[in-house]
Amino acid sequence: MPLAFDLQSVTVTEFGVGRDEEEEQSFTLVPVDTSVQTALGEMARDTWSAMEELDEAPPEYEPSEKHASSEYLVVPFASGLATALRQLHQAENLPLSAAALSDPRDVFCYFTRMTDGAGRRLTAVRRATQFKGVLQSRGLMRFIDDALQIIEESVLRLDSDFDLLVDSDTVHILRPSGFEFVGQLQDAVLAAAPTNVKAVRKDLHFVDFTAIEGYATKHPRAARYLASIVAQNATKDISKSALKAQCKRTGVDVGESKGKITVDEGQVMGFLQVVDRRRYHLELVKGTPESFVAGSRRKLGS
Amino acid sequence: MSPLFLLWAIRGSSFVPDKYLLTVCAVMLVLPNLFLGLRIRAAIGANDKREIAVAVAEDHRDHLLVYLFSMLLPFYAAELRNERDVAAVLVALAFIVFLFWHLNLHYMNVLFAAMGYRVFSVSPPPASNALSGRSGLVVITRRPVLVSGERLIAYRLSDTVYFER
Repeated sequence: MPLAFDLQSVTVTEFGVGRDEEEEQSFTLVPVDTSVQTALGEMARDTWSAMEELDEAPPEYEPSEKHASSEYLVVPFASGLATALRQLHQAENLPLSAAALSDPRDVFCYFTRMTDGAGRRLTAVRRATQFKGVLQSRGLMRFIDDALQIIEESVLRLDSDFDLLVDSDTVHILRPSGFEFVGQLQDAVLAAAPTNVKAVRKDLHFVDFTAIEGYATKHPRAARYLASIVAQNATKDISKSALKAQCKRTGVDVGESKGKITVDEGQVMGFLQVVDRRRYHLELVKGTPESFVAGSRRKLGS
Repeated sequence: MSPLFLLWAIRGSSFVPDKYLLTVCAVMLVLPNLFLGLRIRAAIGANDKREIAVAVAEDHRDHLLVYLFSMLLPFYAAELRNERDVAAVLVALAFIVFLFWHLNLHYMNVLFAAMGYRVFSVSPPPASNALSGRSGLVVITRRPVLVSGERLIAYRLSDTVYFER
Protein backbone atom coordinates (compact mmCIF):
# COMPACT_ATOMS: atom_id res chain seq x y z
CA MET A 1 0.00 0.00 0.00
CA PRO A 2 1.54 3.34 -1.01
CA LEU A 3 2.06 6.25 1.36
CA ALA A 4 0.21 9.39 0.26
CA PHE A 5 3.24 11.51 1.10
CA ASP A 6 6.72 12.02 -0.33
CA LEU A 7 9.23 11.44 2.47
CA GLN A 8 12.04 12.72 0.25
CA SER A 9 10.61 16.22 -0.26
CA VAL A 10 9.68 17.38 3.22
CA THR A 11 9.40 21.17 3.43
CA VAL A 12 8.11 21.63 6.99
CA THR A 13 8.68 19.47 10.06
CA GLU A 14 6.74 20.33 13.22
CA PHE A 15 7.19 18.52 16.51
CA GLY A 16 4.69 18.28 19.35
CA VAL A 17 3.62 16.39 22.42
CA GLY A 18 0.34 15.02 23.71
CA ARG A 19 -0.22 15.73 27.37
CA ASP A 20 -2.63 14.40 29.97
CA GLU A 21 -4.31 17.36 31.60
CA GLU A 22 -6.81 17.45 34.43
CA GLU A 23 -9.91 16.88 32.35
CA GLU A 24 -8.71 15.98 28.89
CA GLN A 25 -5.72 15.42 26.63
CA SER A 26 -4.09 18.30 24.79
CA PHE A 27 -1.66 18.49 21.88
CA THR A 28 0.93 21.27 21.75
CA LEU A 29 3.72 22.04 19.29
CA VAL A 30 7.23 22.57 20.63
CA PRO A 31 9.89 24.47 18.61
CA VAL A 32 12.78 22.26 17.46
CA ASP A 33 15.95 23.00 15.50
CA THR A 34 17.20 21.37 12.30
CA SER A 35 19.00 18.51 14.07
CA VAL A 36 15.77 17.33 15.71
CA GLN A 37 13.87 17.84 12.46
CA THR A 38 16.42 15.64 10.68
CA ALA A 39 16.09 12.96 13.37
CA LEU A 40 12.30 13.04 13.08
CA GLY A 41 12.55 12.68 9.29
CA GLU A 42 14.83 9.65 9.71
CA MET A 43 12.39 8.12 12.21
CA ALA A 44 9.51 8.52 9.74
CA ARG A 45 11.55 6.97 6.90
CA ASP A 46 12.64 4.05 9.13
CA THR A 47 9.02 3.48 10.16
CA TRP A 48 7.90 3.34 6.55
CA SER A 49 10.77 0.99 5.63
CA ALA A 50 9.83 -1.34 8.51
CA MET A 51 6.20 -1.36 7.34
CA GLU A 52 7.17 -2.17 3.75
CA GLU A 53 9.38 -5.02 4.91
CA LEU A 54 6.62 -6.53 7.06
CA ASP A 55 3.79 -6.63 4.56
CA GLU A 56 3.20 -5.27 1.07
CA ALA A 57 -0.57 -5.81 1.31
CA PRO A 58 -1.36 -5.07 4.95
CA PRO A 59 -4.62 -6.35 6.44
CA GLU A 60 -7.07 -4.00 8.07
CA TYR A 61 -6.82 -3.54 11.82
CA GLU A 62 -9.55 -5.33 13.76
CA PRO A 63 -10.22 -4.25 17.34
CA SER A 64 -11.12 -7.78 18.45
CA GLU A 65 -7.97 -9.37 17.04
CA LYS A 66 -4.88 -10.22 19.09
CA HIS A 67 -2.08 -8.60 17.16
CA ALA A 68 1.68 -9.08 17.28
CA SER A 69 3.77 -6.34 18.89
CA SER A 70 4.99 -5.22 15.46
CA GLU A 71 2.62 -5.78 12.59
CA TYR A 72 1.80 -3.60 9.58
CA LEU A 73 -1.94 -2.94 9.67
CA VAL A 74 -4.08 -0.22 8.18
CA VAL A 75 -7.22 1.65 9.17
CA PRO A 76 -9.11 3.77 6.61
CA PHE A 77 -8.81 7.47 7.44
CA ALA A 78 -12.59 7.87 7.63
CA SER A 79 -13.06 4.93 10.03
CA GLY A 80 -14.56 5.55 13.45
CA LEU A 81 -11.52 3.79 14.93
CA ALA A 82 -9.30 6.59 13.61
CA THR A 83 -11.30 9.45 15.13
CA ALA A 84 -8.68 10.67 17.63
CA LEU A 85 -5.83 10.43 15.11
CA ARG A 86 -7.91 12.02 12.35
CA GLN A 87 -8.58 14.94 14.66
CA LEU A 88 -4.86 15.37 15.35
CA HIS A 89 -3.98 15.05 11.65
CA GLN A 90 -6.56 17.62 10.58
CA ALA A 91 -6.00 20.12 13.42
CA GLU A 92 -4.93 23.54 12.12
CA ASN A 93 -2.63 26.05 13.81
CA LEU A 94 -1.99 23.82 16.81
CA PRO A 95 -1.00 25.87 19.87
CA LEU A 96 2.76 26.26 20.28
CA SER A 97 4.63 26.46 23.57
CA ALA A 98 8.17 25.58 24.59
CA ALA A 99 6.82 25.15 28.13
CA ALA A 100 4.83 22.07 27.06
CA LEU A 101 7.82 19.97 28.14
CA SER A 102 8.16 21.58 31.54
CA ASP A 103 6.81 18.41 33.17
CA PRO A 104 7.56 15.46 30.85
CA ARG A 105 5.72 13.07 33.18
CA ASP A 106 2.45 14.41 31.72
CA VAL A 107 3.53 13.58 28.18
CA PHE A 108 1.77 10.45 26.87
CA CYS A 109 2.91 10.70 23.26
CA TYR A 110 5.00 12.77 20.92
CA PHE A 111 4.35 13.41 17.26
CA THR A 112 5.65 15.09 14.17
CA ARG A 113 3.64 16.72 11.40
CA MET A 114 5.36 17.04 8.06
CA THR A 115 4.38 18.80 4.85
CA ASP A 116 5.82 17.66 1.52
CA GLY A 117 6.50 19.60 -1.67
CA ALA A 118 2.96 18.96 -2.91
CA GLY A 119 1.45 20.38 0.28
CA ARG A 120 0.38 16.96 1.59
CA ARG A 121 0.57 16.29 5.30
CA LEU A 122 1.91 13.31 7.23
CA THR A 123 1.42 12.85 10.97
CA ALA A 124 3.63 10.36 12.80
CA VAL A 125 2.95 9.45 16.41
CA ARG A 126 4.88 7.56 19.08
CA ARG A 127 3.73 6.55 22.51
CA ALA A 128 6.02 8.21 25.06
CA THR A 129 7.89 5.51 26.92
CA GLN A 130 11.61 6.18 26.36
CA PHE A 131 10.80 9.86 26.23
CA LYS A 132 9.74 9.75 29.88
CA GLY A 133 11.77 6.74 31.03
CA VAL A 134 15.18 8.15 30.35
CA LEU A 135 14.45 11.19 32.43
CA GLN A 136 13.76 8.99 35.42
CA SER A 137 16.88 6.86 34.98
CA ARG A 138 20.37 7.85 36.11
CA GLY A 139 22.15 5.68 33.60
CA LEU A 140 22.74 8.15 30.81
CA MET A 141 26.41 8.91 30.27
CA ARG A 142 28.68 10.68 27.81
CA PHE A 143 32.40 10.77 27.15
CA ILE A 144 34.17 13.82 28.48
CA ASP A 145 37.99 13.81 28.42
CA ASP A 146 38.12 10.05 27.76
CA ALA A 147 35.97 9.29 30.81
CA LEU A 148 32.31 8.47 31.11
CA GLN A 149 30.26 10.88 33.15
CA ILE A 150 26.63 10.88 34.19
CA ILE A 151 24.62 13.51 32.32
CA GLU A 152 23.08 15.74 34.94
CA GLU A 153 20.83 17.78 32.67
CA SER A 154 17.31 16.69 31.76
CA VAL A 155 17.45 14.67 28.56
CA LEU A 156 14.62 13.66 26.29
CA ARG A 157 15.27 10.67 24.09
CA LEU A 158 13.59 10.07 20.76
CA ASP A 159 12.92 6.49 19.72
CA SER A 160 14.18 4.87 16.54
CA ASP A 161 10.79 4.89 14.81
CA PHE A 162 7.12 5.82 15.20
CA ASP A 163 4.17 3.60 16.16
CA LEU A 164 2.06 4.82 13.27
CA LEU A 165 1.88 7.17 10.31
CA VAL A 166 -1.24 9.02 9.20
CA ASP A 167 -1.66 10.32 5.65
CA SER A 168 -4.76 11.75 3.99
CA ASP A 169 -6.17 8.28 3.16
CA THR A 170 -4.96 5.81 5.74
CA VAL A 171 -3.64 5.24 9.23
CA HIS A 172 -0.58 2.99 8.77
CA ILE A 173 0.08 1.08 11.98
CA LEU A 174 3.41 -0.47 12.90
CA ARG A 175 2.64 -1.16 16.57
CA PRO A 176 -1.03 -1.99 17.22
CA SER A 177 -0.65 -1.38 20.99
CA GLY A 178 0.63 2.14 20.28
CA PHE A 179 -2.31 2.78 17.98
CA GLU A 180 -4.76 1.55 20.62
CA PHE A 181 -3.18 3.71 23.29
CA VAL A 182 -2.71 6.93 21.35
CA GLY A 183 -5.94 6.50 19.39
CA GLN A 184 -7.83 6.05 22.68
CA LEU A 185 -9.33 2.98 21.11
CA GLN A 186 -10.94 1.57 24.24
CA ASP A 187 -12.90 4.77 24.81
CA ALA A 188 -13.72 4.96 21.10
CA VAL A 189 -15.13 1.42 20.82
CA LEU A 190 -17.11 1.77 24.05
CA ALA A 191 -18.58 5.06 22.88
CA ALA A 192 -19.32 3.56 19.46
CA ALA A 193 -21.09 0.48 20.87
CA PRO A 194 -24.66 1.85 20.50
CA THR A 195 -23.93 3.00 16.92
CA ASN A 196 -22.36 -0.35 16.08
CA VAL A 197 -25.35 -2.22 17.51
CA LYS A 198 -27.59 -0.09 15.32
CA ALA A 199 -25.50 -0.96 12.26
CA VAL A 200 -25.52 -4.71 12.96
CA ARG A 201 -29.23 -4.69 13.85
CA LYS A 202 -30.07 -3.61 10.28
CA ASP A 203 -28.74 -6.91 8.92
CA LEU A 204 -29.61 -9.15 11.89
CA HIS A 205 -33.15 -7.87 12.38
CA PHE A 206 -34.09 -11.28 13.78
CA VAL A 207 -31.87 -10.78 16.85
CA ASP A 208 -32.98 -8.94 20.02
CA PHE A 209 -29.98 -6.70 20.79
CA THR A 210 -31.25 -5.26 24.10
CA ALA A 211 -28.96 -7.34 26.34
CA ILE A 212 -26.06 -7.15 23.86
CA GLU A 213 -26.14 -3.35 23.73
CA GLY A 214 -26.32 -3.04 27.53
CA TYR A 215 -23.38 -5.40 27.95
CA ALA A 216 -21.21 -3.94 25.19
CA THR A 217 -21.43 -0.37 26.46
CA LYS A 218 -19.83 -1.51 29.74
CA HIS A 219 -17.40 -4.21 28.60
CA PRO A 220 -14.53 -3.18 26.29
CA ARG A 221 -13.93 -6.71 24.94
CA ALA A 222 -17.57 -7.04 23.81
CA ALA A 223 -17.41 -3.51 22.37
CA ARG A 224 -14.29 -4.54 20.43
CA TYR A 225 -16.10 -7.59 18.99
CA LEU A 226 -18.95 -5.34 17.90
CA ALA A 227 -16.57 -2.83 16.28
CA SER A 228 -14.82 -5.69 14.52
CA ILE A 229 -18.12 -7.13 13.24
CA VAL A 230 -19.10 -3.75 11.82
CA ALA A 231 -15.65 -3.19 10.27
CA GLN A 232 -15.82 -6.57 8.49
CA ASN A 233 -19.15 -5.63 6.94
CA ALA A 234 -20.06 -9.32 6.69
CA THR A 235 -23.38 -9.56 8.50
CA LYS A 236 -25.53 -9.16 5.42
CA ASP A 237 -27.38 -12.34 4.41
CA ILE A 238 -26.57 -14.21 7.64
CA SER A 239 -29.48 -16.59 8.01
CA LYS A 240 -31.30 -16.97 11.28
CA SER A 241 -31.21 -20.77 11.14
CA ALA A 242 -27.47 -20.89 10.33
CA LEU A 243 -26.72 -18.50 13.18
CA LYS A 244 -28.76 -20.53 15.65
CA ALA A 245 -27.15 -23.76 14.48
CA GLN A 246 -23.62 -22.34 14.84
CA CYS A 247 -24.47 -21.07 18.33
CA LYS A 248 -25.74 -24.49 19.32
CA ARG A 249 -22.68 -26.28 17.87
CA THR A 250 -20.24 -24.01 19.71
CA GLY A 251 -22.03 -24.05 23.04
CA VAL A 252 -23.72 -20.66 23.04
CA ASP A 253 -27.17 -20.83 24.62
CA VAL A 254 -29.60 -18.57 22.84
CA GLY A 255 -33.36 -18.45 23.14
CA GLU A 256 -36.18 -17.19 20.96
CA SER A 257 -38.99 -14.84 21.78
CA LYS A 258 -41.56 -13.33 19.42
CA GLY A 259 -39.59 -14.56 16.43
CA LYS A 260 -36.31 -13.00 17.58
CA ILE A 261 -33.15 -14.65 18.89
CA THR A 262 -32.61 -13.61 22.51
CA VAL A 263 -29.21 -13.64 24.22
CA ASP A 264 -28.69 -13.65 27.99
CA GLU A 265 -25.98 -11.40 29.41
CA GLY A 266 -23.84 -14.44 30.21
CA GLN A 267 -23.92 -15.55 26.57
CA VAL A 268 -23.23 -12.20 24.91
CA MET A 269 -19.49 -12.78 24.47
CA GLY A 270 -20.03 -16.21 22.93
CA PHE A 271 -22.71 -14.88 20.60
CA LEU A 272 -20.52 -12.00 19.44
CA GLN A 273 -17.63 -14.43 18.88
CA VAL A 274 -19.85 -16.48 16.60
CA VAL A 275 -20.88 -13.42 14.55
CA ASP A 276 -17.24 -12.23 14.51
CA ARG A 277 -16.24 -15.62 12.99
CA ARG A 278 -13.92 -16.61 15.81
CA ARG A 279 -15.85 -19.42 17.54
CA TYR A 280 -15.30 -22.76 15.85
CA HIS A 281 -16.52 -26.31 16.03
CA LEU A 282 -14.44 -29.27 14.92
CA GLU A 283 -14.89 -33.01 15.02
CA LEU A 284 -11.61 -34.43 13.75
CA VAL A 285 -11.93 -37.37 16.10
CA LYS A 286 -15.24 -39.05 15.45
CA GLY A 287 -17.55 -38.72 18.46
CA THR A 288 -15.36 -36.07 20.09
CA PRO A 289 -16.73 -32.66 19.09
CA GLU A 290 -14.52 -29.72 20.06
CA SER A 291 -15.20 -25.98 20.13
CA PHE A 292 -12.52 -23.26 20.04
CA VAL A 293 -12.28 -19.52 20.32
CA ALA A 294 -9.64 -17.97 18.05
CA GLY A 295 -7.80 -15.01 19.54
CA SER A 296 -6.43 -14.31 16.09
CA ARG A 297 -7.69 -15.51 12.71
CA ARG A 298 -7.20 -14.79 9.07
CA LYS A 299 -9.65 -15.50 6.28
CA LEU A 300 -8.40 -18.09 3.81
CA GLY A 301 -8.93 -17.96 0.08
CA SER A 302 -10.49 -15.03 -1.76
CA MET B 1 10.13 53.12 17.78
CA SER B 2 13.27 53.58 15.70
CA PRO B 3 11.94 56.52 13.63
CA LEU B 4 11.09 58.40 16.83
CA PHE B 5 14.65 58.09 18.13
CA LEU B 6 15.98 59.07 14.72
CA LEU B 7 13.87 62.25 14.79
CA TRP B 8 14.95 63.02 18.37
CA ALA B 9 18.58 62.57 17.41
CA ILE B 10 18.21 64.95 14.46
CA ARG B 11 16.26 67.51 16.45
CA GLY B 12 18.46 67.48 19.57
CA SER B 13 17.61 68.91 22.98
CA SER B 14 18.62 72.04 24.85
CA PHE B 15 18.62 70.09 28.12
CA VAL B 16 20.26 66.74 27.26
CA PRO B 17 23.80 67.06 25.86
CA ASP B 18 24.20 65.68 22.35
CA LYS B 19 26.77 63.06 23.39
CA TYR B 20 24.20 61.38 25.67
CA LEU B 21 21.16 61.95 23.49
CA LEU B 22 22.87 60.73 20.32
CA THR B 23 24.27 57.67 22.10
CA VAL B 24 20.88 56.69 23.53
CA CYS B 25 19.12 57.38 20.23
CA ALA B 26 21.72 55.37 18.28
CA VAL B 27 21.40 52.43 20.67
CA MET B 28 17.59 52.54 20.54
CA LEU B 29 17.72 52.83 16.77
CA VAL B 30 20.10 49.95 16.18
CA LEU B 31 19.47 47.51 19.01
CA PRO B 32 15.81 46.54 18.37
CA ASN B 33 16.39 46.18 14.63
CA LEU B 34 19.58 44.24 15.25
CA PHE B 35 17.71 41.92 17.60
CA LEU B 36 14.92 41.50 15.04
CA GLY B 37 17.44 40.78 12.29
CA LEU B 38 19.21 38.20 14.45
CA ARG B 39 15.89 36.60 15.37
CA ILE B 40 14.91 36.27 11.70
CA ARG B 41 18.34 34.87 10.92
CA ALA B 42 18.13 32.38 13.79
CA ALA B 43 14.64 31.25 12.70
CA ILE B 44 15.85 30.72 9.13
CA GLY B 45 19.02 28.97 10.35
CA ALA B 46 17.03 26.61 12.57
CA ASN B 47 14.43 26.08 9.83
CA ASP B 48 11.89 27.09 12.46
CA LYS B 49 8.96 26.96 10.05
CA ARG B 50 5.32 26.28 10.57
CA GLU B 51 2.32 25.67 8.36
CA ILE B 52 -0.39 28.24 9.02
CA ALA B 53 -3.99 27.82 7.90
CA VAL B 54 -5.84 31.03 7.13
CA ALA B 55 -9.50 31.30 8.12
CA VAL B 56 -9.93 35.08 8.17
CA ALA B 57 -7.07 37.50 7.51
CA GLU B 58 -7.12 41.24 8.20
CA ASP B 59 -4.62 43.60 6.63
CA HIS B 60 -3.27 45.97 9.28
CA ARG B 61 -1.80 48.80 7.25
CA ASP B 62 -4.01 51.07 9.35
CA HIS B 63 -1.82 50.15 12.31
CA LEU B 64 0.90 52.29 10.77
CA LEU B 65 -1.42 55.27 11.18
CA VAL B 66 -2.04 54.25 14.79
CA TYR B 67 1.70 54.12 15.23
CA LEU B 68 2.17 57.52 13.60
CA PHE B 69 -0.50 59.30 15.62
CA SER B 70 0.04 57.56 18.94
CA MET B 71 3.80 57.74 19.03
CA LEU B 72 5.60 59.76 16.43
CA LEU B 73 3.64 63.00 16.41
CA PRO B 74 3.07 63.51 20.17
CA PHE B 75 6.60 62.58 21.15
CA TYR B 76 8.21 64.49 18.36
CA ALA B 77 6.33 67.60 19.49
CA ALA B 78 7.33 67.12 23.13
CA GLU B 79 10.00 69.55 24.33
CA LEU B 80 12.84 68.24 26.54
CA ARG B 81 13.69 71.41 28.48
CA ASN B 82 14.26 70.11 31.99
CA GLU B 83 14.39 66.98 34.16
CA ARG B 84 10.61 66.87 34.53
CA ASP B 85 10.07 66.95 30.75
CA VAL B 86 12.53 64.08 30.29
CA ALA B 87 10.92 62.08 33.12
CA ALA B 88 7.42 62.69 31.71
CA VAL B 89 8.49 61.60 28.21
CA LEU B 90 10.17 58.46 29.57
CA VAL B 91 7.10 57.49 31.60
CA ALA B 92 4.79 58.17 28.64
CA LEU B 93 7.14 56.17 26.41
CA ALA B 94 7.11 53.22 28.83
CA PHE B 95 3.33 53.38 28.94
CA ILE B 96 3.06 53.38 25.14
CA VAL B 97 5.52 50.46 24.90
CA PHE B 98 3.44 48.54 27.44
CA LEU B 99 0.23 49.25 25.49
CA PHE B 100 1.77 48.18 22.18
CA TRP B 101 3.00 44.98 23.77
CA HIS B 102 -0.29 44.34 25.55
CA LEU B 103 -2.34 44.94 22.36
CA ASN B 104 0.01 42.68 20.40
CA LEU B 105 1.15 45.60 18.19
CA HIS B 106 4.84 45.08 18.97
CA TYR B 107 5.43 43.69 15.46
CA MET B 108 4.88 47.17 13.93
CA ASN B 109 8.07 48.03 12.15
CA VAL B 110 8.54 50.75 9.58
CA LEU B 111 11.39 48.81 7.93
CA PHE B 112 9.01 45.95 7.14
CA ALA B 113 6.60 48.39 5.54
CA ALA B 114 9.42 50.03 3.57
CA MET B 115 10.48 46.63 2.23
CA GLY B 116 6.97 45.90 0.97
CA TYR B 117 5.81 43.62 3.73
CA ARG B 118 2.26 43.68 5.00
CA VAL B 119 1.02 42.61 8.39
CA PHE B 120 -2.01 40.35 8.64
CA SER B 121 -3.91 39.17 11.68
CA VAL B 122 -4.92 35.59 10.96
CA SER B 123 -7.92 34.22 12.80
CA PRO B 124 -8.05 30.51 13.61
CA PRO B 125 -10.30 28.17 11.64
CA PRO B 126 -13.85 27.56 12.92
CA ALA B 127 -14.06 25.32 16.00
CA SER B 128 -14.93 22.16 14.05
CA ASN B 129 -11.78 20.48 15.37
CA ALA B 130 -11.29 20.62 19.13
CA LEU B 131 -7.50 20.42 18.79
CA SER B 132 -7.10 23.37 16.41
CA GLY B 133 -5.56 26.52 17.88
CA ARG B 134 -7.96 29.17 19.15
CA SER B 135 -5.54 32.11 19.29
CA GLY B 136 -5.00 34.52 16.43
CA LEU B 137 -1.57 34.79 14.78
CA VAL B 138 0.24 37.68 13.14
CA VAL B 139 1.78 37.01 9.73
CA ILE B 140 4.27 39.39 8.09
CA THR B 141 4.32 38.67 4.38
CA ARG B 142 4.81 40.27 0.97
CA ARG B 143 1.54 38.80 -0.29
CA PRO B 144 -1.05 41.47 -1.07
CA VAL B 145 -3.92 39.35 0.25
CA LEU B 146 -4.40 36.21 2.29
CA VAL B 147 -7.37 34.20 1.10
CA SER B 148 -9.54 32.17 3.45
CA GLY B 149 -8.60 28.50 3.30
CA GLU B 150 -5.07 29.30 2.12
CA ARG B 151 -2.10 27.61 3.77
CA LEU B 152 1.27 29.25 4.04
CA ILE B 153 4.63 28.30 5.44
CA ALA B 154 6.26 30.95 7.61
CA TYR B 155 9.20 31.33 9.97
CA ARG B 156 8.45 31.73 13.67
CA LEU B 157 9.61 35.02 15.19
CA SER B 158 7.64 34.46 18.38
CA ASP B 159 4.83 32.11 19.39
CA THR B 160 2.30 34.48 17.78
CA VAL B 161 4.29 36.39 15.12
CA TYR B 162 5.36 34.68 11.89
CA PHE B 163 7.39 35.89 8.93
CA GLU B 164 7.07 34.70 5.35
CA ARG B 165 10.12 35.43 3.19
